[in-house]
Amino acid sequence: MMMWDQWKKGFDMWEQKTAEMMETVLKSPAVLQPMGGLLSASMKMKAGVEKASAQWWGGLGLPTKREQEKTLHALNQIQSRLIDLEEKLAEMKKN
Amino acid sequence: MKRITNLLTLWKRPKPQVGVTPHEIFWQENKWKLLRYQARPEGISHQTPILLVPSLINRHYVLDLMPGKSFAEYLVAQGFDVFCIDWGTPGDEDRYVTFDDLVDGALGRAIRKVASTVGHDRTHVLGYCMGGTLAAIHGAVHPEHLQSFVALAAPVKFNDGSLLSQWTRLKGFDIDALVAGTGNVPPRLLQSAFQMLRPTLPLQKAVMLIDRAWNDEFLDGHLALETWGNDNVAIPGEFYRTYISELYQKDALLPGRFALKGKKVELKNLVCPTLAVTFEHDNIVPGPSAAALIDVIGAKDKQHLHLPGGHVGAVVSKHAAKTLWPQLVAFYEKHDSPPQKRAPLPQVEKKPAPVSKPAKRRTSAPREVRTR
Repeated sequence: MMMWDQWKKGFDMWEQKTAEMMETVLKSPAVLQPMGGLLSASMKMKAGVEKASAQWWGGLGLPTKREQEKTLHALNQIQSRLIDLEEKLAEMKKN
Repeated sequence: MKRITNLLTLWKRPKPQVGVTPHEIFWQENKWKLLRYQARPEGISHQTPILLVPSLINRHYVLDLMPGKSFAEYLVAQGFDVFCIDWGTPGDEDRYVTFDDLVDGALGRAIRKVASTVGHDRTHVLGYCMGGTLAAIHGAVHPEHLQSFVALAAPVKFNDGSLLSQWTRLKGFDIDALVAGTGNVPPRLLQSAFQMLRPTLPLQKAVMLIDRAWNDEFLDGHLALETWGNDNVAIPGEFYRTYISELYQKDALLPGRFALKGKKVELKNLVCPTLAVTFEHDNIVPGPSAAALIDVIGAKDKQHLHLPGGHVGAVVSKHAAKTLWPQLVAFYEKHDSPPQKRAPLPQVEKKPAPVSKPAKRRTSAPREVRTR
């Protein structure tokens, strides 16, 4: 047990120091700039591929994923607005 | 010996049940639900209900983790009528859900629904993490139904030098490209960002697990928290765009440059009794980022409570049940409304609702209370 406790103390110290060091590294623009750039570039590529495939799909006269999503979202918005109106009506009746 | 046996049998240990405090779905709209916890058998002894507003990034059941470690269960046992928002899982079509839709629309509706259960038409609101930020923004624009407000580790000052703040302000980080590429921002991306806040955390947790494996109660709690920590949820893209660009990158909330549905958000309009709780070892929401709320609101009755512990551990632990929770109950008892006529309570059946961030640090030291 003594050995484990000793080891754990050493581990806690190591963990604290390593976490501090990692934080310094992860705050460094030299690390962050390329990481951010990579993430943005991959996202732009993904969006580009999706746009191209949607254009092809749309060219066949079929509804694209975006169009279906927009329709579903619009339905959800209409539902919310109807509930808003019901709420207002109930409020008016109460008063 | 028990430590070794427990470690060897960890893989076949039954998963702890999470979010099991009996509740009903009080209201449901699109993907979000308003849950109402079943009152204790003796009934409700306070005049004002409590609405819990969790973060959108994680599942709501962190506030109802497991029996004995559930804040919701604790509040129910103290005689409160407790409600909680479950933001649900956004579908692909919800990438277009905006900040206004969720904060003015959904949160507003939840507050009004909860307030309507009592004659005085007001409710206590407790927001945890991002939920606290959203509730503060809503409360500053629509303060009429708030009896009191508790901001639990809720950031309001975003330019705070923390890792998250630095990452989002990075020149190479293009939020528009991220939203265009992902639609709803996937949980894996968010989870890895949180893991990078303390990359040694998984190792630290593994050592702690070995160290305390003899304790069955600890193991169950650990597994429950891990279940939650790995049960992440995506965030609607449009909402995320506003949250990052307006709040993190422009830090528009504190100076009053942020608008909710066209209305300027001035935190000085938050005038109900307010308590801001911050944690000493919170590496997700640094103390000053959350404590800044107290300096800018217009409430005469405002307090700042600074406690030891991390972002999750200080809210969901046995220690929290002895320190944080009783202080919150004392706050609610102090700010309860005088006796009023109450709408009848529904009879509900027990309904487990399993529906996520690992504990950052354990709490240990005595608390520190500051009142302003």
